[in-house]
Amino acid sequence: MISINEAEKASLEKKSSESLLELIDVKKHFPIKSGFLQKTVGHIKAVDGINLKVNRGETLGIVGESGCGKSTVGRTVIRLYEPTDGKIIFNGKDISHLSESDLRKDVRKNIQMIFQDPFASLNPRKTLRSIIREPLDTHHLLRGKERDEKVENLLEKVGLNASFINRYPHEFSGGQRQRIGIARALALNPELIIADEAVSALDVSIQAQIINLMEDLQEEFGLTYIFISHDLSVVRHISDRVGVMYLGKMMELASKKELYTEPLHPYTQALLSAVPVPRKKGSMAVKRERVILKGELPSPANPPKGCVFHTRCPAAFDLCKQVNPDFKEVKNNHFVACHLYT
Amino acid sequence: MTALLELKNLKTYFKRKKTVIPAVDGVDLVINKGETVALVGESGSGKSITSLSIMKLIPSPPGEIVDGQIHFEGRDLVKLSEEEMCKIRGNDISMIFQEPMTSLNPVLTIGEQIIEVLTYHQGLNQSAAKLKAIEMLELVGFSRAKEIINDYPHRLSGGMRQRVMIAMAMSCNPKLLIADEPTTALDVTIQAQILDLMKDLSKRFDTSILIITHDLGVVSEVADRVVVMYAGQVVEEALVEDLFENPLHPYTNGLMGSIPSIDEDHSRLVSIEGNVPSPENLPSGCRFAPRCPNAFDRCFSELPELSRKFGNRSVRCFLHDGKEGQR
Repeated sequence: MISINEAEKASLEKKSSESLLELIDVKKHFPIKSGFLQKTVGHIKAVDGINLKVNRGETLGIVGESGCGKSTVGRTVIRLYEPTDGKIIFNGKDISHLSESDLRKDVRKNIQMIFQDPFASLNPRKTLRSIIREPLDTHHLLRGKERDEKVENLLEKVGLNASFINRYPHEFSGGQRQRIGIARALALNPELIIADEAVSALDVSIQAQIINLMEDLQEEFGLTYIFISHDLSVVRHISDRVGVMYLGKMMELASKKELYTEPLHPYTQALLSAVPVPRKKGSMAVKRERVILKGELPSPANPPKGCVFHTRCPAAFDLCKQVNPDFKEVKNNHFVACHLYT
Repeated sequence: MTALLELKNLKTYFKRKKTVIPAVDGVDLVINKGETVALVGESGSGKSITSLSIMKLIPSPPGEIVDGQIHFEGRDLVKLSEEEMCKIRGNDISMIFQEPMTSLNPVLTIGEQIIEVLTYHQGLNQSAAKLKAIEMLELVGFSRAKEIINDYPHRLSGGMRQRVMIAMAMSCNPKLLIADEPTTALDVTIQAQILDLMKDLSKRFDTSILIITHDLGVVSEVADRVVVMYAGQVVEEALVEDLFENPLHPYTNGLMGSIPSIDEDHSRLVSIEGNVPSPENLPSGCRFAPRCPNAFDRCFSELPELSRKFGNRSVRCFLHDGKEGQR
């Protein structure tokens, strides 16, 4: 028993020491243009200085409310957006300002994405065969019979019948389409998959099927996931570590156990307490004291001075209105950006 | 408790050329005075069509209430004329929808929209209606009600719009409020504000609420009683504590297992295999049988009745047939 535990521990340590992706102070600002000459009159600070490491083989969850910049982080990592500032290091290489052709050469193959809307993310005029083989063709990987076999193989991997290969997306339900999207993402054997609200549009019973599938595939192919969602329960289920974003900034990042049982940041605490919990049989859940946040999310074009959360924070004091707190490690692997912990 | 609304064997079918789609197929439902009932189900289960049938807002054709009764305070709404229904809508039964963006008129100010409701239904004059509108907006938590009243909907956020919708729905002091996925489009912190507000208002004005949702968390937060629907039929009905304590129907059980918990770690979710059957092509026998882990021969040939069990709960399943007696 002990030896197994030690082996497990060693492999865990090895796992956590290797980071696959690192974001250093990444910013993405979108210009606001106005007037006849389309002059830039301001910036939406969608992502404003994010530091993050993603380890090989783990699932990192990113949660936050709408407009917090979580999707922009995902899209910047895959370089659908070029970051305004900061560095994105993938596999030891800075990819933040690579050209399109360089990206295609060795980055895009290794980072794939699963999108939220299974109805909008598949071309309705293409068969499953051409949808799933498109990444293979783009990267000139397989041809002819081999390619068809690969597509059939992928369909079976995601739990669809290989005979569906000549069908069109409209013939499938939402859950099945999401499986098609996953098969397409897997086609290139990527190392990192970014799932942006991948299960949010699905009914709960279907959602559970897709989550289970994603977990199985992770084990089989040694995938690393960045799982972006607004659903705190789903993120808790699937993630190893979880980051909480608010108004373009990372507020707290910790292992899921610590984040959900001992949240440090007042925003995380409020967010967790706001989730309505089904009273399940035998649940050990202690009813959380509900913190209802006053007001609404400020506009990211004009974020508050100091800590961005101070306008709604129940624990804010003078310093919070002046100085933006640093994102610091306050406990082992538990990062938080809050003046209460400095 | 007295029943405010009672649906008896309600059937709403949609007719398309030669096919008939039984969207709601024999629903029985009781809402008592002051009670909050949650109608739960996945997409396509018929929960929204049930609520639209109560309001008689089914687009017809192709939709039609083909059978059943809707008793509201001793009257059968199915038999009422459109004119009589207009008096009931807004006055006695009002409704809030999922999408606050599309249910407000973008070219009218918030004030004009609430005032319209009050002048039409309550016969108030403009100035009295305006005062009442401001009062309603304050009630739902706007601190600057006097200014909001002159704003257009696009200036408000999703949560604020939903509060305007609630103010409008509550302005005539209805006996029943139907809320169709009222918080689905909102963020969790805003959802918590809105659910709190709804609970508070229903207590204060003794309004019954029928809340339609797919989120079991929301159900346990606000509801007294739960009705679970699957493929156009009620499969289980129970008090909220009983349902979460001991779900009887395999579908309800599967739904509960599908939800990841925020308080506990599970190694794997229990998922329900397969998909919701399409309403044009329903399985014979029990509609859940093809996906049911406990199905046996009888389930595939015969449709179980929704039968009453002890402790005021009902379930539509052969597993519980004859058991536990009918007291």
